[in-house]
Amino acid sequence: MRCGVEKMGSRLTLPGMSVITGIGWITGTEYGCVMKKVRQPYADVGSLRSSLERESVFSYPAKRFGKYDLASQLTCGVAALALYDAGVSYSEDRRQDIGILGTSSDGCLQSNVDFFRDFVANGRTRGRAGLFVYTLPSIPIAEAAIYLKLQGPLLYLGFSREQISSLLTRADKIITRGESPAMLAVKASEEDALCFVVRREGDVSTQTALRLETLLDIAQQTSAVDEMVLALFGHVTW
Amino acid sequence: MPEMRAVAVTCDMVSAYGSGVDACWRGLQSGHSAIRRFERFSMTSMSTQKAAFVPGLNPDGDETLVMQMLRPLVQRNASLIPADSFLVLATTNGEIDILERAVLEGTPPADGSRPERLLRKVELLCGLTHPGMVICAACASSSAAVAQGAAMIRDGERDCVLVVACDNVSEFVAAGFSSLMALDEDMARPFDKNRRGLSLGEAAAYMLLMSEQRASRERRPVLAEISGWGLTGDANHITGPARDGSGLAAAVRQALQSAGLPGERVGSISAHGTGTVYNDSMEMRAFKSVFEGRSLPTYSLKGAIGHTMGTAGLVDIIVALRGLAERVVPPTVNLRDVDNEARGWASPEARSCDSDVALSTNSGFGGINCAVVLRRWDPD
Repeated sequence: MRCGVEKMGSRLTLPGMSVITGIGWITGTEYGCVMKKVRQPYADVGSLRSSLERESVFSYPAKRFGKYDLASQLTCGVAALALYDAGVSYSEDRRQDIGILGTSSDGCLQSNVDFFRDFVANGRTRGRAGLFVYTLPSIPIAEAAIYLKLQGPLLYLGFSREQISSLLTRADKIITRGESPAMLAVKASEEDALCFVVRREGDVSTQTALRLETLLDIAQQTSAVDEMVLALFGHVTW
Repeated sequence: MPEMRAVAVTCDMVSAYGSGVDACWRGLQSGHSAIRRFERFSMTSMSTQKAAFVPGLNPDGDETLVMQMLRPLVQRNASLIPADSFLVLATTNGEIDILERAVLEGTPPADGSRPERLLRKVELLCGLTHPGMVICAACASSSAAVAQGAAMIRDGERDCVLVVACDNVSEFVAAGFSSLMALDEDMARPFDKNRRGLSLGEAAAYMLLMSEQRASRERRPVLAEISGWGLTGDANHITGPARDGSGLAAAVRQALQSAGLPGERVGSISAHGTGTVYNDSMEMRAFKSVFEGRSLPTYSLKGAIGHTMGTAGLVDIIVALRGLAERVVPPTVNLRDVDNEARGWASPEARSCDSDVALSTNSGFGGINCAVVLRRWDPD
C-alpha cells in the first residue's frame, strides 16, 4: 500500500478529516522524523538528549529531562521531534493551544514497580516523591506538555487493541469538534515512541501532510512502533 | 448531522458512606465525615492514620479491592446496562493491589495491574459486546471520561456510553502522597483557612449516558443533560497547579461555550476542593475570574469521603445531579473556618438552589483540568 504525502489543496479530501503534518519516532537505537526524512542512531538516552539539543529539536534546554523517568524522556523527545517535523516552533515563554493524547502497551507499570520496590526496600516506612510522581500513565505526556508549553486537552487513553489507530481517531474527534486546533498523539513506552502531529485540514493548505485515513489504514495493520516506522518510510512518496 | 443531546439515565456508587447514592447524600446532609482511623494496612509510618474507606473490603480476598467494589455495584444494576454500551473506564491506579502483591510476594505478575487488563475485566463483568477505552487523566480521570462519553454521543458516534470509575486506598498511594507531604494529619478541610492537605478515599461508581433519542425510545428516566465540557492543561508543573487558575478558568469557559450557556446561568459549583493550600486557592481564583462579580454556592466532597482519585470526578457529578434534582447544594463537610478567598462561596451548611445548571470541576497532576456543565433535564 502506498500512501501519498501530498500538498494539501491539490486534491479533494474528506470534509472534517484531520491531517498529519509531522511524525517523530524513537526506537531502541535510532530516532527520526518522517516528513523531513531524518534518521539518526543514538547510543543511550543521554546521547539522544544531546543530539536533540544540538539539532535544535529541543529549542531550549530541557532542564528537568534528567529527572524524568525513561517513558517521560522518550515521550518528551518524540513529541519535540514530531513538532520539529511539522515545522511547529515552541518556546519557554509561549503557551500554545495544542493538546496531547497518549497511549502505551503497559501504562506506567515499570515506574509503579520502581516506586513500590523502593518503598519496600526502605522498610515500608518512606516512599520517594521523585519516583511517585511518575506512577500515573498520564505523566509522560504531561511532562512533554509542560516542556513544550502545550495547554490543550491532555489525556492518557488505553485500548485493548489497535492502539495507534484508536488514539488517532480520538485526536481527530477532538479536532473536528473544535475543542483543539491541533493535537499530538503519542504512543510511548520505555523501549520506543511514536508521535503524530494532527491538525485541522483547513489549517494546512500549503503544507505537506499525510491524510489521516491513509495513516489509519497502516495503523490498523500494526501498533508496533518499529513496524509502523518501516511502513511509513517504505510507503511515503514525495 | 444534527447534534445529539447526551443525557445521564442511571448511576450508582459505593463510597465510604456505604452503598448507593442515597447513602452518600444522607451522609453529606448529616455533616459527619466518613474519614476515620484506617486499619486495612499499617499507616504508622505515613503522615496520617486516617482515610475514608468502603466498609467490608477484604485485602486478602479472591478479587482485588476495586473488583470487590465494582462487582456488587454492577450486579445490582445489570438489567439497566445495555450490552452494546461503549465502556469508558476511569482510574488512576486500577488494580494496584496486584502490583503490591507482586513486589511483596513475587506473585502474581505485576503486569496484571495494567489498566487495560482491568478494562477487559469490567467489559466482561458488564456483559458488553464491544471493546472500550480506559482514561487516565490523574484526578480528573472520571470527569474527563464523562466528557468524552458525552462527546461521542453528541457527535453521533455512539448512542450509549457506560462510564465506570474506581480507585481504592492502597499502601502504594498512601506512601506516595505521604512522600509528597500532601496529606492532612487529621481530616481534609476544603476551603478552610487552616487546611493542611488531603485525605485519601476510595469509591467505585458508574453512570450510563445515552442520546436523548435512545433514552426516549427505551423510556429511560433522564437524570440530567451533560451539556458541555472543557479540557485543558496548565503546562506549568507536574504536581502543583498554575497558581493563577488560568488553566482551570479556560476549561470552565470552554465548558460553558460547549454548553451554549452564559456564566450567569450557573447556579452552583462542585469543586475539586482537595483541602491542599494550593489547589483550593487556585480553584477560587479560577472561579472568580470566570464568574466576575458573583459569588456562587461552591462545595467539595473531599472532607466527607476523602479524595477518591480517579473516581472523584464521577462521584462529584453524581452528587451534583442529586443536588439539581433536590434543589440543594450540599455542605462542605469538615469546613470550619472559611478561608477569606472562599468567603461567600463555600459553606459548611447545605443551601437551597433553584438553578437548573451546575458546574463540576476537577484538576490533577500534570496540570490537567476538566470542567463539566450539567443541566436539569428539560425535554424542550
